[in-house]
Amino acid sequence: MEQASIVVLIGPSGCGKTTTLRMINRLIEPTSGRIEIQGEDVTDLPATELRRGIGYVIQQVGLFPHRTIEANIATVPRTLGWDKARIRSRVEELVQVVGIDHEMLTRYPDELSGGQQQRVGVARALAADPPVLLMDEPFGAVDPIVRGRLQDELLELQARVHKTIVLVTHDLDEAIKIADKIVLLNVGGVVEQYASPDELLREPANAFVESFVGDDRSMRRLTLASVGELPYDQGPVVPIDTSPADARAILADKRSEWLGVTDGEAFLGWVDGTEVVDGVHLDDLHRFLPAAQVEPSSTLRNAMEVIMNSRTSVAVINDQGRFCGVVTLERIRAGLEGDLSALPEPAG
Amino acid sequence: MIAAAAAAPPTTWLAQVAVPRDITLVEWFTDPATWTGSNGIIASLGDTLLLVVAVILFSVLLSVPTAALLAHLRKAELASAWAVNIGRAIPTFAIAGLLVPISLRAGYGFEPWPIFIALTLLTVPPMYLSTYTAVKQVDPAAVNAARAMGFTEREVLLTVEVPLALTVIFTGIRVASVQVVATEPIRAFLGGDGLGRYVRDGIGQNNPTLVLGGAILIAILAGITAVTFVGIEWLAKPPGVRRLSGRADRTVAARKQMVGA
Amino acid sequence: MFLATSAANPLLRWSYFVEQWDRIAEAIFQHVQLTLLAVGFGFVISAALAYLGMRYRWTVTPITLFAAFLYTIPSVAFFGVLVSYLGLSLVTALVPLTAFTILILVTNILDGFASVPEPVREAADGMGLTPAQRLFTVEVPIAVPYIINGLRIATVTTVGLVTVAAIVGYGGLGRLILDGLRRTFWTPLTIGASLSILLALLFDLLFFALGAWLTPWARRKQTL
Repeated sequence: MEQASIVVLIGPSGCGKTTTLRMINRLIEPTSGRIEIQGEDVTDLPATELRRGIGYVIQQVGLFPHRTIEANIATVPRTLGWDKARIRSRVEELVQVVGIDHEMLTRYPDELSGGQQQRVGVARALAADPPVLLMDEPFGAVDPIVRGRLQDELLELQARVHKTIVLVTHDLDEAIKIADKIVLLNVGGVVEQYASPDELLREPANAFVESFVGDDRSMRRLTLASVGELPYDQGPVVPIDTSPADARAILADKRSEWLGVTDGEAFLGWVDGTEVVDGVHLDDLHRFLPAAQVEPSSTLRNAMEVIMNSRTSVAVINDQGRFCGVVTLERIRAGLEGDLSALPEPAG
Repeated sequence: MIAAAAAAPPTTWLAQVAVPRDITLVEWFTDPATWTGSNGIIASLGDTLLLVVAVILFSVLLSVPTAALLAHLRKAELASAWAVNIGRAIPTFAIAGLLVPISLRAGYGFEPWPIFIALTLLTVPPMYLSTYTAVKQVDPAAVNAARAMGFTEREVLLTVEVPLALTVIFTGIRVASVQVVATEPIRAFLGGDGLGRYVRDGIGQNNPTLVLGGAILIAILAGITAVTFVGIEWLAKPPGVRRLSGRADRTVAARKQMVGA
Repeated sequence: MFLATSAANPLLRWSYFVEQWDRIAEAIFQHVQLTLLAVGFGFVISAALAYLGMRYRWTVTPITLFAAFLYTIPSVAFFGVLVSYLGLSLVTALVPLTAFTILILVTNILDGFASVPEPVREAADGMGLTPAQRLFTVEVPIAVPYIINGLRIATVTTVGLVTVAAIVGYGGLGRLILDGLRRTFWTPLTIGASLSILLALLFDLLFFALGAWLTPWARRKQTL
């Protein structure tokens, strides 16, 4: 696995994803084969020493009920013999990083909500700054809204700490959302595919993978890229002071029934193409503003949603009030043909 | 007769059991004179059973309905916990002893009030506690379903909560009853008789055989009580629960109940 | 006759209390000593049995049954038999007293360790705590409330049983009670009985306070 990447282990029950994870920190001893961390065999060190250098987060968290939050987080540093001042400052730092209220440090675990406990669990795992972090279905025990938030926070966290994270989940959407690489395991520990989320969806290695990712894999892939990563189309959109004749030419060229108008900056609305006649200024025509628009940061999935619900079959891209272009189905389809994870970062 | 009996100090008022020192245990048990007569085993057993049964019945009547009702209403939880705790802490022998002069002053004599009250005080807390906990911990889904079907509160208590809690209630009664039987012998030292008299007299006369014989009798009675109640408990289980009981009995909670802790 | 002498035989004659203070103090001391010795030995034995029970799961049932059996032996019978064969000695009193504590203590110790949630154990291992560290810094503190509860019940029960041990000569305040009963002299009876009740309640309160002090995390949550 690549350093500083998030690798997700996923698969059906009995595939050994949790077992594999727990072999890394030797909570389960491997009976054959080798596991190496930065070139060193994990069985070379005594197990307890190994584990102090690896962060471990489990679904039910397992915070020590008899210790305060602060003491919980400080567990491994204390075992390693750090001095008090260093521990204190590290705890303060972590509290910021994982997003816990400072005043919670003196509370006990049973006073915290599920989501807060899980964050503390992550802080505790990171306390001694281990290079590797193991997570076993960490977000399974919270409700979907909190789960989504925790997933986002994990990605933000990773952007800051750059750990090598191995995470086990049974939720494919979660895997697709957060993984840099996914390991899809089959019953018995067979690795069916090891690839980026987009590749897994785009080119399933075999029938098992295909059925596992499901029929809607194209739709799923759409969550992986955002509008800003694809080239913008101008679409059938013209400045409001364009002449009706020129406007009609563009309508014919784009083969569109609707004409969009801007004032040079913002998008003003759509006009029915059949009403564009000579002698009538575009501004005098009845227009409507679409109910939904997308932003460069919206996912292609969102864009798809908007397109489906729009009379005009295109989605308007609105970058803080400035019209940038439109998203068409054609553009999305073309995007799907490539590797969505290899798209350039959106400009601006 | 009674006045004369009341006039003398207890040690001569109580008919002592006189047994030759060199008698063996088997000889003692097989001698018919040991069993019959006013000092015989049968008479003493009768004394003991009378008191024990009276205490158990009274305690059950006092604690079980009250506990069931309060648990159903979800009231008095804290007060119950405290009362049970204090009741459990009070030494039985001490309280019985303290009640003796009071009983005498009131003209009731050495028996039965001091020992009866003391044994009741011993029995009520565990019975009350196990009944309260049992009713309180009945599956809330069953209770709510009953309410939703239109059962009155009284019906809920009597037809749902109590039957489901019955096993644990009986366990509490069993544990308490075995305790009563095991503690009852102190009566012999409080101016009474019962099966404890043989140990008392045996110690007094320095006769190990008599002591051992008495001890065996007491122990057997305690054992029989335990077994009888286990049987009653088993029969009291609603058939559906009976089949499930194997695994449930091994839980921590069930173990605690068995101990009456 | 003695019913009529209630004026000369009050429930508590204060002069007696003062005069016999030495004897009373000695009785209190012996009572406390017996209680602490019995609970102390009982705890050591129970801790060993609990360790066995946790290490070898199959031993839990036999151990519990054995302890329950000991507990069910009627106190009078137990004391009586031992005094007949061992005579009047400290051991005669101590053996039954110790035996009666074992069931409560073993059960509570086992329950205490059983109450440690599995995720907590797993997290402790995953963080690289050695088995000994896990035991002493995680499992024992969590088990403490149960252990204290066990000690509380065992101690209070033992105070009561020590009064019964008076029948074999080593009963602390129980001797005063027995003495008073035999002589139908109420003052020692009242003193012995009241003080033993007080002692029991005092121990109860002490352990309650100890338990509350040692478990700050349980205090925060206001549950029963």
